[in-house]
Amino acid sequence: MTSDEALMLEFQGGSRAAFEELFARYRKPLHGFFGRRLNNPERAEDLVQETFLAVIRAASRYEPRALVRTYLYGIALKLLAAERRKFLTSSTLGQTAPEPKTDGTPDCVLWVRQAMEKLDSPDREILMLREYEQLSYSDIAELLRIPLNTVRSKLFRSRLALKSYLESEAKTNPALRASAGQPHPRRRGLQ
Amino acid sequence: MSTNRHPIEQEELMAYLDGELPMDQATEALLHLELCPECQTLAADFRGVSQELMAWEVESPEIGIPSEINAALGDRLQKREVAKITSPRLENRVLTSRWVWAGALAIVCVAMGLKLLTSRNRNEDRSTAYLSMALIEQYLMPDRNAEIAMARSAAPAAISSDAKILVLGRQGYETAIEGKNGFVCLVERSWMSPFNSAEFWNPKVRGPLCFNPAAARSILPLTIKRTEMVLAGLPKAQMIDRIKAGFDNKELPAPNPGAMCYMMSRAGYLNDAVGHYVPHLMFYFPLTDKSSWGADLPDSPVTLNPQFQGGPEPITEFVIPVGKWSDGTAAPAM
Repeated sequence: MTSDEALMLEFQGGSRAAFEELFARYRKPLHGFFGRRLNNPERAEDLVQETFLAVIRAASRYEPRALVRTYLYGIALKLLAAERRKFLTSSTLGQTAPEPKTDGTPDCVLWVRQAMEKLDSPDREILMLREYEQLSYSDIAELLRIPLNTVRSKLFRSRLALKSYLESEAKTNPALRASAGQPHPRRRGLQ
Repeated sequence: MSTNRHPIEQEELMAYLDGELPMDQATEALLHLELCPECQTLAADFRGVSQELMAWEVESPEIGIPSEINAALGDRLQKREVAKITSPRLENRVLTSRWVWAGALAIVCVAMGLKLLTSRNRNEDRSTAYLSMALIEQYLMPDRNAEIAMARSAAPAAISSDAKILVLGRQGYETAIEGKNGFVCLVERSWMSPFNSAEFWNPKVRGPLCFNPAAARSILPLTIKRTEMVLAGLPKAQMIDRIKAGFDNKELPAPNPGAMCYMMSRAGYLNDAVGHYVPHLMFYFPLTDKSSWGADLPDSPVTLNPQFQGGPEPITEFVIPVGKWSDGTAAPAM
């Protein structure tokens, strides 16, 4: 299997197939990245497209100093920040961000969302980059421009906070907790 | 949890579970975790949190490349072609420059690959974490003939065509073809990585190699042993203990003099960081210092592979890149 970095270099050299392969590899993960942070599937898909458009526009400037994976999520984080600023500005002018869609969303997902919202925003971002994007501590530190030890300590704090939240929820709603705890065959947990 | 009672902090335990500790600390964490009920509970809690978060999946529509991206892509590629046609001298310069860059990048990539391959600090491993064993089907190759061909591709045909070929089945490695020259070729899987490697469970890994007779007698048993334990579902701590016991009671042999193997396949996939890497030979010795071979010194072509190196197998493994793939074609310059 050709590495992402080799594909990016091939794309720089004019290979459409290399770009298509990168698109196939990262479209879904990027959709998940935006989808979890915006709770708006349509906007998430728009931002996935904007991410790839940014890759196309900046292809000639790409240097393989970082993994393509980290590079892509770096772009995605910038787009996300811009999107949030946009909504912040809109809300000060009387508009509000769309409410997360909950129709048909399983209870266990709603519950995980609620648990995540209880975390401080920077802590939540670190936890999400680790759990969902599966980035290493050093990649997260690089993307968020914070020390590696801070990543570790905040991740630790977030996980303990979630554990505490899980335990309190389990006491009040054991059925929900049980449904959320079902192992998912397509994802990996800690070893 | 006080440090007086626990040799590792809670944060370190979490980092260990995330595959983020260097080998020496990871081994310490692993051994402690095996014995400490309190840490086992904490580890179970962390796993529980991780598992529950996985409930939040985001549905993604199955679509091709959207028209806006296609248009931008076409535009970029077209401009590139136009520039090539209208400015051949410039293009030549760019091309020359690009080749220079490509060469430099290749060197950088190979150097980075070597560093990743040899680094004992797994904090430097930037690849995707594979935190637990995937379904066994993902490690098996459904096409037996493809696996035989991949195994043979590890060495030049003059060697591998008469070698014994093993393929991985659900019960372990089995003989697919009997050999005549004492060499044994097979495709190793991710669990032959160091135990603290972030890619220990990477189901994409395919490591074709051909052991010479000395290595077939003394190194192949390690592959067989680790594979048996993985397929039996043993946790890493137990695997490590059993390997140690195996060496203690001589069930597992020390490397025979002259033990080596060929890894010259262009079809292999050694890990996410280095892909198929470069063709190379590997030489096995009882645990020794890398300075005895001048490994990892500036401009030395010899590298220490941390695959074993006392973790727990008491074996040192040196890697030397070679210039050609097994099919005789030139490999990337080192």
